Amino acid sequence: MGQTLVEKIVSRQAGRPVHAGDTVERLPITKLFFNDVIGPPAIKGLANLFGETFKRHGKPVQVFDRRRIFFIPDHSVPALSVEVAEGVDLMEAFGREQGVKVYREGDGIEHVVLIEGGHIVPWDIVLGTDSHTCTNGAMGALAFGVGTTEGVYALATGYLYDFVVPETIRFELTGTFGKGVYSKDLILHVIGKMGAGGCSRRVAEFVGDGVRRMSMDARTTICNMAVEMSGRTGIMPYDETLAAYLKGRAAWPVEPIESDPDARYADRLTVDLASLEPMISFPHKPANATPVSRVQEMIARSQAQPTSDFPAVVSDRITDAFLGACTNARYEDLVEAAKVMRDHKVHPDVSFVVIPASRKVYERAMDEGILQVFIKAGANVESSNCGPCFGSHMGVLSRNAQMISSSNRNYQGRMGSREARIFLASPATVTASAIEGRLADPRKYL
Amino acid sequence: MLNGTVTSVFGNDINTDDIIPAMYLIKSDDPEYFATYAFVKFDAEFRNRCLKSQANIVVAGKNFACGSSREQAVYTLQFNRVVCVIAQSFPDIFYRNCLANGLPLITLEDTSGLGLGDQLEIDLDAALIHNRTRNTSLPFQIKTDDRRTFQAGGMTARVRAHLEEILTRQG
Repeated sequence: MGQTLVEKIVSRQAGRPVHAGDTVERLPITKLFFNDVIGPPAIKGLANLFGETFKRHGKPVQVFDRRRIFFIPDHSVPALSVEVAEGVDLMEAFGREQGVKVYREGDGIEHVVLIEGGHIVPWDIVLGTDSHTCTNGAMGALAFGVGTTEGVYALATGYLYDFVVPETIRFELTGTFGKGVYSKDLILHVIGKMGAGGCSRRVAEFVGDGVRRMSMDARTTICNMAVEMSGRTGIMPYDETLAAYLKGRAAWPVEPIESDPDARYADRLTVDLASLEPMISFPHKPANATPVSRVQEMIARSQAQPTSDFPAVVSDRITDAFLGACTNARYEDLVEAAKVMRDHKVHPDVSFVVIPASRKVYERAMDEGILQVFIKAGANVESSNCGPCFGSHMGVLSRNAQMISSSNRNYQGRMGSREARIFLASPATVTASAIEGRLADPRKYL
Repeated sequence: MLNGTVTSVFGNDINTDDIIPAMYLIKSDDPEYFATYAFVKFDAEFRNRCLKSQANIVVAGKNFACGSSREQAVYTLQFNRVVCVIAQSFPDIFYRNCLANGLPLITLEDTSGLGLGDQLEIDLDAALIHNRTRNTSLPFQIKTDDRRTFQAGGMTARVRAHLEEILTRQG
């Protein structure tokens, strides 16, 4: 029987052929990374859980393979509190002691900098202590988030335990996007159709001509949000675009991977990219997605039948806009948003925060005059980090706020007050809305 | 045998931000710290209800604890004396975090036989929930590996044994 991408990757690492439903008692992983939220407790956890074991063998506490581990301070940096600053200190000291790479504050977001640096390659099994680790699936890798304890286990031994090989849903993307429609609109559309739990315990494998025509920046946005329909992860095959991206960049050997024609899927779905229009997800969950042309209908529906995760929205007014996060603040995202922003100003009632996803993206956007477009239009451009997505700094929301964001989660209270309303959209739609001070269609600016 | 009272009944798609909002995660690395802020933006009475019972059971609909990978969601429940969560389904990351920390999760397709205040006795070996309040018995499915891990209070002992093997091999 043929194999899906994930079945192939797990088979190689397990050293035997596996299919969905099989359990691998000990699965060796190939890459592991921690952010500033989980890195510090994980470092302490390594000593607490395994210090005695190392000591009994006359060894200092050590990581399983220093070349495969990364620490990336991105959520709350430049450090927003003494606790965060001391956590970053701890990661830096641990990095020096173990010979593990620790990024600097402002280098960028975990799901962006490792890909940029060529650290993630096809066939990898990547664990990160963040649910959006699934972003790395765009590299032909099996990548997903783990909690602190599983992160600590992997740090010590390099293994994941009792891994159940997941089933896969195959999403075939055909056609090309119309003007002003992007991969973010596609994934919001898919999540809207599938629901918040629609891909639960299954992998979302994206294939087809539609994927082949997409840049790596566009692909990562899709895989990033697989977890928002509760997917185990998102994944895409190797192709010429990925090969070109990795050329001269990959820090590890690159081998092609694709699923077998006779692989078994739990379900197969097709989406014609040409049929899509810009999408907006209503509060309080990404699955509340609507085409931009139906915003008024959606507002009326929210008032007629409000629920705890689809509350009444009073108007389409926007007070805050955020272009950033691991979903959508890569180079191409900024280019597209700048096309919308050019020759316009941020609406006087809107606070617009723009945060490039990495230092490399920041520098390139600066060199090419893209950051200047946002700055001169009245946006706040900040150094690379997760920004207000995490609800801690750089644009936290008041109870009166209506935010439109290029990030991936609009849960109640996610970015500040529990009364705030958060909408999700593409960088172009976020920017058009920042200009108009209301939920807006970006197509008239392009 | 697990004994407890159902002190919370939730609907579908409760996310980990509902359980413990992201902004609290960076304030402490002490697992006990988060308990105070349990469901603070979603169900501010959660903690008070839990404080009144020695052993709390949470009942929920589909996809309980979706979203972020934060293990703090598990600590938040455990340090509010939640001894078990019964839901129609769980997403992977939370399920694995509960295995690692030994918080038993029970998947029950139909949770309509459970309500607030019900006293439950849960037999993991027999895969049976005995609702003492309603005098009913509800069977459930659980994988043997998972049952053993929950009963062992987590996976750490096994991982420690594996690390022993690795270090011995290295000499």
